[in-house]
Amino acid sequence: MNPRIEEALTTLGDEVLVRKAQEDDDRAFGELVSRYETKVYSLALKMVRNPEDAEDVLQDTFLRAYRGIKSFKGNSTFSTWIYRITANSALMRLRKKQLPTVSIEDADEREAPVSIADWSPGPVDQLLNQELQQVMDEAIEALPAEFRQVFVLRDIEEISNAEVAEILDLSVAAVKSRLHRARLKVRNRLAAYFNENQKQKRAMGAQR
Amino acid sequence: MTCKEVLDALSDYLDADMKEEVVTEMRRHIGVCSDCRAEFDTLSMTIKLYKHESATSMPDGCHDRLVKILEIEKLKLKPGSTKTES
Ligand SMILES: [Zn+2]
Repeated sequence: MNPRIEEALTTLGDEVLVRKAQEDDDRAFGELVSRYETKVYSLALKMVRNPEDAEDVLQDTFLRAYRGIKSFKGNSTFSTWIYRITANSALMRLRKKQLPTVSIEDADEREAPVSIADWSPGPVDQLLNQELQQVMDEAIEALPAEFRQVFVLRDIEEISNAEVAEILDLSVAAVKSRLHRARLKVRNRLAAYFNENQKQKRAMGAQR
Repeated sequence: MTCKEVLDALSDYLDADMKEEVVTEMRRHIGVCSDCRAEFDTLSMTIKLYKHESATSMPDGCHDRLVKILEIEKLKLKPGSTKTES
């Protein structure tokens, strides 16, 4: 391997690397892998919620990208394209596990009583403990796959509505609607936890 | 604006993705309606909490396994080609 070529590749932009990869330059594709593998893995993990499945999604994503690189037209950026493959691969995996899908048009976002005023908006760092982290994980796991995709991309990866729409091949309006419902569902799970916490604290106080 | 309209528009409000007139109306409503304020506080807190989710790194060997799988695929797709070292 020529170290000078390796070094040169890292300085090239995604577009140039894509073009080279389309011309069968496997080292250029390798550089794209190095550049995006952690992001793809991280996105996959947040969607499928376990390391084994996340690694499967990672491998599946880059295999498909490798096979399909010549059909990539450059209408979107490479990162949008690779995220789209990742999101689809993760969704397929979740469907295999028969997670509830969005077709259940339930309206349970509003069922929780709004006795959530006690949920004091203190500093985030003070609230974040292991127990809450677990509740947060469970809240994501309870989301139907299509809601989870949008929530992870928007609120964890902090990708814009417009780009999420492109990644998931949805309208911006659909992204916003799913995001809002996902947020409310997640919020309701956390609210239930905070309320329960509060009750326990009060009960403990009354015992004394 | 009714409470239901406020609740439906909360995400857009939090994402600063709405017209200035509506923002003013939302702000006014949330200022005087404790139910909607609770909705607003908890929803914005939820979003803040998840933004703190730590970055993940790949497990040991993950990169090498990926490279190996791609290498096998390359030999399948381009049987004439040799190893990267050529
Ligand atoms: Zn209200």
